[in-house]
Amino acid sequence: MAMPYNFRIIEDCTKCTFREQRLFCDLPKPALTRLQDIKATAVYPKGALLCLEGQPARGIYVLCTGRAKLTTTSAEGKSIILRIAEPGEVLGLTAVISSSPYEATVETLEPSQANFISQTDFVHFLKEHPDVGLKVANQLTHNCQCAYAEIRSIGLSNSVPEKIAKLVLHWAEQPLPPAAGRKPNEIAFRVTLTQEEIAQFVGTSRETVSRVLSDFRKKGWLRIKGVVWTILNKHALEGMVTT
Amino acid sequence: MSLENGNTNELYAMLRAELRSELAQHEKLMTVPEGGTLIDHGILPDHLVILNSGTVRVSVPSPKRVASMTTGQQGKVFGMRAAISGDLPEIDVTCIEPCNITVLPCDVFLDLLKSHPEIYVAVAKVLSADLQIADRILRNHPRRTAPVPRFRVPKPV
Repeated sequence: MAMPYNFRIIEDCTKCTFREQRLFCDLPKPALTRLQDIKATAVYPKGALLCLEGQPARGIYVLCTGRAKLTTTSAEGKSIILRIAEPGEVLGLTAVISSSPYEATVETLEPSQANFISQTDFVHFLKEHPDVGLKVANQLTHNCQCAYAEIRSIGLSNSVPEKIAKLVLHWAEQPLPPAAGRKPNEIAFRVTLTQEEIAQFVGTSRETVSRVLSDFRKKGWLRIKGVVWTILNKHALEGMVTT
Repeated sequence: MSLENGNTNELYAMLRAELRSELAQHEKLMTVPEGGTLIDHGILPDHLVILNSGTVRVSVPSPKRVASMTTGQQGKVFGMRAAISGDLPEIDVTCIEPCNITVLPCDVFLDLLKSHPEIYVAVAKVLSADLQIADRILRNHPRRTAPVPRFRVPKPV
């Protein structure tokens, strides 16, 4: 049956086909059955706020499909993107486990499905099922590694073109399937961030991002058509990345 | 030490008394002078380090810049991520004043974790605190980059 907006809702975690690929969701049957009981499934449009920085923690969100950006306010008072959450990630973990307010605002970048589990239910779930504790530890370790990698990346990169080249190459690691009309050496991928959001990510202005991307396009390194970006000259972009 | 003095830390606070007693048998107290290194990035620690008193600097080294923050949080546990994942630490933790610490062998802790997996709740709490530190450094680390030159300044004739 065709779904509206081509969006398929995953109602039953025990029958989810993505489960084994996900850091948190690959749980033993008893824990999965319990998870099914305590979660509340909801679908959010692009731009929906799942939680706000500073809001008292109500629970966690398991991002089943779609992507979301985590933003916070820097010491300079600017909005910065901490990272982009991918499907399978658990959001709000730190706040719920340490009983502190949410550390970041989470906003969906595209139509997304997220399963909400209240703080009380999640803490009980964690205590009843030690396997879940292991998954949570793995998720937190992964999040820490991402955060420190981002810190090192900020410390290493010298220029905005280099940072954007790095970002483009990182996004190209999840390419779209081959399509007619696309050459074998061209790598296409989907980008749902606006130029303003890219600017927040790398720590510059929207105008600078626009100028750099325009430069890449003029040099024949990149083609941008709506949300589909295509790397035409990967070697040239890699040459920009010196660190 | 932790039990006799009634002190606790972010790990022990979540554990049952008998598990705390078991770990306490393997603890060792130390005083580290100013400048001493508790955790060295690139070196796998063989002990968990619990900060009892003093202030430390947590820094993320990179060739061009070092991002850091200081913390004097009594009871903060360092080295948990490396112990659990087996990956090398990404941070340096150094004392900016003399610090009293408790060290706990990682292998003793991991053995207890295997036989009592409910300890993962306590591990999650420690790792949450680690992530809060990382996010704080990320938030405070300036992201300004060298501006892209727009005009060429003509050479004087």
